[in-house]
Amino acid sequence: MPTSFELKEGQSLPTVEKNIVQDNINLYAKASGDFNPIHVDADYARKTPLGGTVAHGMLILAYISQMMTDAFGHNWLSGGRLNVRFRAPARSGDVITISGSIRRVEKEDGYHMIDCDVLCHNQNDEPVITGDAKVKVKANENRG
Amino acid sequence: MAADKDIAYQNLKAGQEFPPAAFQVDSATVSDYLKAVEENSVIYRGTGIVPPMAVAALALKALINAISMPPGTIHVSQEFEFMATVNTQDILTGRARVSRVQERGKLHLMTVDIDVANQKQESVLAGKTGFILPVE
Repeated sequence: MPTSFELKEGQSLPTVEKNIVQDNINLYAKASGDFNPIHVDADYARKTPLGGTVAHGMLILAYISQMMTDAFGHNWLSGGRLNVRFRAPARSGDVITISGSIRRVEKEDGYHMIDCDVLCHNQNDEPVITGDAKVKVKANENRG
Repeated sequence: MAADKDIAYQNLKAGQEFPPAAFQVDSATVSDYLKAVEENSVIYRGTGIVPPMAVAALALKALINAISMPPGTIHVSQEFEFMATVNTQDILTGRARVSRVQERGKLHLMTVDIDVANQKQESVLAGKTGFILPVE
């Protein structure tokens, strides 16, 4: 069920926090079929400029999608839009916080068009992903 | 989006299209995916609904399989639009097209557009993926 909160400008979205662990990176590689050694081969990754394995960027995007699903439910699955830039890698041992807030709400043909800022940052407050997300919600929808 | 890595990225030009690739996201894959991303929303519990980012990841996998990406390739930007819910029974077809290639010094900037449709030819997902690749 979507989290209940007011659809108003400045409103924060429900925050998600994730510990990045190599086991999850490996599981994600299996599920996505992306076995690039930079994600799963510690010996290989150690010799690269990154100095160690990093999480798939798409794994961190999945966390943003989780936050948007928590906030907007099915409206996100069918009608959601995401536009992001990857700013820094997420590594095993990092704690990533996924947050967002509503930047703008516009009413249009019985819908709320909601524009959100989204951010993933690590435990050192360094941005890992920045961007925006848009979703369309029926104006009279009961959102839990 | 061919299965073989037979397209060297140096040869890619804007406008180039990859052969379409069919894929399905079965319930075992969804289960692995949900475990990997620690997602426990009731939306996915026993419903057969596939998380949209799982669809996106598998569409990108087909793309990455089609291009011989050099070591040092960085995924720098990503856009997605989710148009319709995907179920585990759906048979999806992914299409990809290079929309921009730019050489800047020792780097190539490349943008690839992705579209995924279901068995009814309805678009379920569209995306734009930005890579930076080292010039070899």
